[in-house]
Amino acid sequence: MNKILFFAHLRDVAGSESIEMQVDGKTVAELKEEIMTKFGFQKLDTVMTAINEEFTSDDDIIQEGDTIAFIPPVSGG
Amino acid sequence: MQDRYSRQELFPPIGKEGQAKIRAKHVLLIGAGALGSGNAEVLTRAGVGKLTIIDRDYVEASNLQRQQLYTEEDVIEKLPKAAAAFKRLRAIDSSVDIRPIIGDANVEMLEELINEIDLIIDATDNFETRMMINDLSQKYKIPWIYGACVGSFGMSFTIIPGKTPCLNCLLQSIPIQGMTCDTGGIIGPTVQMVIAHQSAEALKILVEDWEAVRASFVSFDVWRNQYNSMKMSRAKKQHCLSCGEQPTYPYLELENQTKTTVLCGRDTVQIRPPKQQNLVLSELAEQLKRLGYEVKGNPYLLSVEWPENRIVIFQDGRALIHGTKDLTQAKTIYQKILG
Repeated sequence: MNKILFFAHLRDVAGSESIEMQVDGKTVAELKEEIMTKFGFQKLDTVMTAINEEFTSDDDIIQEGDTIAFIPPVSGG
Repeated sequence: MQDRYSRQELFPPIGKEGQAKIRAKHVLLIGAGALGSGNAEVLTRAGVGKLTIIDRDYVEASNLQRQQLYTEEDVIEKLPKAAAAFKRLRAIDSSVDIRPIIGDANVEMLEELINEIDLIIDATDNFETRMMINDLSQKYKIPWIYGACVGSFGMSFTIIPGKTPCLNCLLQSIPIQGMTCDTGGIIGPTVQMVIAHQSAEALKILVEDWEAVRASFVSFDVWRNQYNSMKMSRAKKQHCLSCGEQPTYPYLELENQTKTTVLCGRDTVQIRPPKQQNLVLSELAEQLKRLGYEVKGNPYLLSVEWPENRIVIFQDGRALIHGTKDLTQAKTIYQKILG
């Protein structure tokens, strides 16, 4: 099983801070696609992704037990 | 004033030696909004040698809730933020050389200043300027500290050329339709927490305590009680155009910057983003309506009634700002909405 964490406005769109999904074997890009369909996110291409608190790129493969966090860069200052 | 910095000098990682280093340094602060006000105050009180502050905006009533340097009087006088900041900071510590610049931070302006700068602090509200700062930082080997916030969510990352990944490694392209304080709201504590992270990093860099500099990318939500520290050891991209083996510094090129044009005889400025966008207009309309703005639209464009201006935003990211001929003001409004 994998835990997926949502930060900032992604949390509001998903309606939850975290969810559990079986996504091992998928790439980060594939997971983004799946999440977009499931929760109706409009765009995730510029959202940063961490696996087990380490920055990862879109082609990294998710392993069993990994925790994946989606962190959208924000702009205000 | 004697003893002025004594408590900071008693802090072992700084000491008298560190204080002398802080005094010898010149910090460039880009933006004098919420993050800019707070960072400027911390650095001025800490006795930095020189502080150059660039801002293109003036003080408005909606700033006072979180922009700690400004007062009601500044709002009434419509003082430019850089001028109002200068007034307040000089009253705090007259021995610090504060250099306010009222204007739009562009490549030309920054390249003129940059040779004497030791550190850049990001207090901007848009990614276009941040990507430009990022390229300048790499080109001239000057560290910079990214900070941003919206709602109760904030983040910061310290970029040291030759050592850490850069912002271009992390984002690869400019996120547009990023949430801004004018669309997603903002609370004071979020601002303060980002300022605390940025200014602590600034002090470490100014005293040259490189080992203490935080290597991770922090993000937090002060309302939902989340704190995330992301390790960045695998984030550096070998072929990054800003910090890779053959850098081209793409964001210093004119073609990658937002174009502003006054439309003759129409009291209107046209804004064109560097790359054609594919905006989700319905989502943007909802955000703006929630904030109480009057928004009308069709599948091709949105028309927003902004105080004193009407703004028309097209799906490709182009916008018309009606009711002004001032390019900087128009760009400010555009970036307040689209980040």
